[in-house]
Amino acid sequence: MIEADVKKKLGEFSLDARVSDADFICLTGKNGSGKTTLLNLIGGILTPDEGYVTLNSRKITNLPIERRHVSIITQDSCIPHLDVDRHLVWGAKNKGLNVEPGYITEVKTGLGINFDGKVRKLSLGMRERVSLATSLISKPELILVDEALSNIDNHRDFIDIFKNLAAKAKIDVIFTTQYPEDASQADHHYRLESGKSTRFF
Amino acid sequence: MFLLLYEGFGPLRDSLGYSNEVFRAIELTLISSAVAATLSALLFTPLAYYFARNKNSLGEALSDIPASIPHPIIGVAILVIVSPLTPFGRFLLSIGINFFNTFLGLITALTIVSAPIYVNSMHPFFQSMNIAHENYALGMGVSKFRTFYAVVLPNSGRGILTASLIAMSRAMSEFGSISIVAYYVLQQPFYGVNPAPVLIYQYYTYYGLGAAVTASAVMILVSIALMVLLRLVKH
Repeated sequence: MIEADVKKKLGEFSLDARVSDADFICLTGKNGSGKTTLLNLIGGILTPDEGYVTLNSRKITNLPIERRHVSIITQDSCIPHLDVDRHLVWGAKNKGLNVEPGYITEVKTGLGINFDGKVRKLSLGMRERVSLATSLISKPELILVDEALSNIDNHRDFIDIFKNLAAKAKIDVIFTTQYPEDASQADHHYRLESGKSTRFF
Repeated sequence: MFLLLYEGFGPLRDSLGYSNEVFRAIELTLISSAVAATLSALLFTPLAYYFARNKNSLGEALSDIPASIPHPIIGVAILVIVSPLTPFGRFLLSIGINFFNTFLGLITALTIVSAPIYVNSMHPFFQSMNIAHENYALGMGVSKFRTFYAVVLPNSGRGILTASLIAMSRAMSEFGSISIVAYYVLQQPFYGVNPAPVLIYQYYTYYGLGAAVTASAVMILVSIALMVLLRLVKH
């Protein structure tokens, strides 16, 4: 369960947004509406001028990124020098988690990771699959996906599979998209317009 | 530069300028500068990364001081550290640490003068690195320290090598501080060898322009080779 009620001023732009839900949350809005700023505030890349962020009743407003249990995925998120198999378990290994090989296979199969090689040499869509899988395997409490689902082939089918894997691992997800129709696949939908949030369902 | 090469190998050519003494001096300069650049990379890469990711004007200004003061001051400062007139200096001397006319003193001076160049070269490299990689690692609960050496460093090889070569070329050209700290080295395997910039100065004062110009021309060829290597690494 993520609860965020935050205000942030960045130059001329002001964000005044509220999110309070669990499970699979879609955030839509035009370019510059504040989607990335809101995710950065929840993920700890930015700190709010006013307001708070709680995750599963734990106040995380002023915690550093590494102590939030919130994984942040953008189109550039990856550990470039690793090969795919080492990348997939990198986060979990660093956390000291014991991951069942069967679970890794399930995530790989589900997200269509049937390729290998250095992550920096993969196409954008392939890299995003690997980054999302690595995040799932590292078992954070919340995954923030900033436009990183849109470049994947058959992205609507992919969203369904990713949603099921996240639900099974009891991980909440907030994802941003420029395609309003993606919202129908989410459990909750928020729209941002000029920094103001509106909850649709 | 071309005038020096022309005169050094042409009209003003002096066989003293490419004697064994000159090649030993260049060898000492190359080795000590390479060691200084390596030390800069080992000691100051984390600092350059810190400056690239955090605003710290005071820290950045302080780290630039060795590059912005007359370098004889650095030489004097290094000698004060091991001065028998101070308790700390006496302590260092008692445990065998001496900077005066030693290889240690030479690389200490070269490291101090080239480190700001190294840090300033690494700073834009780190700034240009995609911070999304670091945020991704941090978001998976990985500490800042581990993110630095497991994510940032493995992707910084080219930047570190380039900045090290720039720092090395700066160290090779140093004269002010080493003419005070290590006019020559009184330790094997370089016993009695002057660093190349000091030797060129010495040739000028002892033998006049001819020997100094020829030795300078030889040193310029070595510097050009290093610059070519630097360009190759950059591209």
